[in-house]
Amino acid sequence: MSDLREGVAGPAFRVGPITRTDIVRYAGASGDFNPIHHDEPFAQSAGLPMVMAHGMLSAGILASYVTHWFGAGSVRRYKVRFRERVWPGDVLSAEGKVERVRATEGAQQAELELLLKRQDGVVVVSGSAEVAF
Amino acid sequence: MTQAGPREWEFPVDWSKVREFARAVHDEHWNDEPLIPPPTFPAYVTSDYIERLVVDELRLDRRRTVHGEQEYEYLRPLRVGARLRCRARVVDDYVKEGKRGGRMRFVVCETEMFDAESGELVLRERSTAIETAASEGQAA
Repeated sequence: MSDLREGVAGPAFRVGPITRTDIVRYAGASGDFNPIHHDEPFAQSAGLPMVMAHGMLSAGILASYVTHWFGAGSVRRYKVRFRERVWPGDVLSAEGKVERVRATEGAQQAELELLLKRQDGVVVVSGSAEVAF
Repeated sequence: MTQAGPREWEFPVDWSKVREFARAVHDEHWNDEPLIPPPTFPAYVTSDYIERLVVDELRLDRRRTVHGEQEYEYLRPLRVGARLRCRARVVDDYVKEGKRGGRMRFVVCETEMFDAESGELVLRERSTAIETAASEGQAA
């Protein structure tokens, strides 16, 4: 990581296709039982074609990308914006780029720009993170 | 608008729940020893509070409420075995005209999590929910 500098891109990272099982597993793990994520008739009553994944499942997957890149416990700040929905069958790819690197007492910190995209290239989550390494 | 008061609760960060959560977000460290909670694990810590806030107190319509943004600041390591003292409150609640007309309601909630033993601030999280205009019938 000593050669990490501005503009460097992160490793490839892909999750999916997302299944209803992934969504239900996240509902149980996170305690978010909003029926729009597991109850098909409820989702359809909200005008959706089917159940949709939790935004926080995508945010969690994008955070897993950061800990894949920099290790568990490396994240100091993490911020995401939810842009598009994720449906069962979607394949998600994470991308990251180093925006800035700076040295602090005893450690280096990097600021990252992050994107999570669907298989059609549409950005579903955009975000940023600060990591120490 | 319904006012929602601040809330405090304690939360033990237990190994099996962290492991379950890490698996669910496809975190490759889910089986590590020692296990470090994934960055978004606090979503589980706040889940009961958020559900009560959205459904019972603010009475937002879940069919058209979307999660807009989510932010975390980690000040100290979050560890399995720690006991957290959590303090949550609504920090902003306002209405804006949507681009396609109609009122959109923004609710921003902030939770601070302290180490219950030392009293030190471990992390701060901020969540923005958006109740979209009634006609759009969208959800996320």
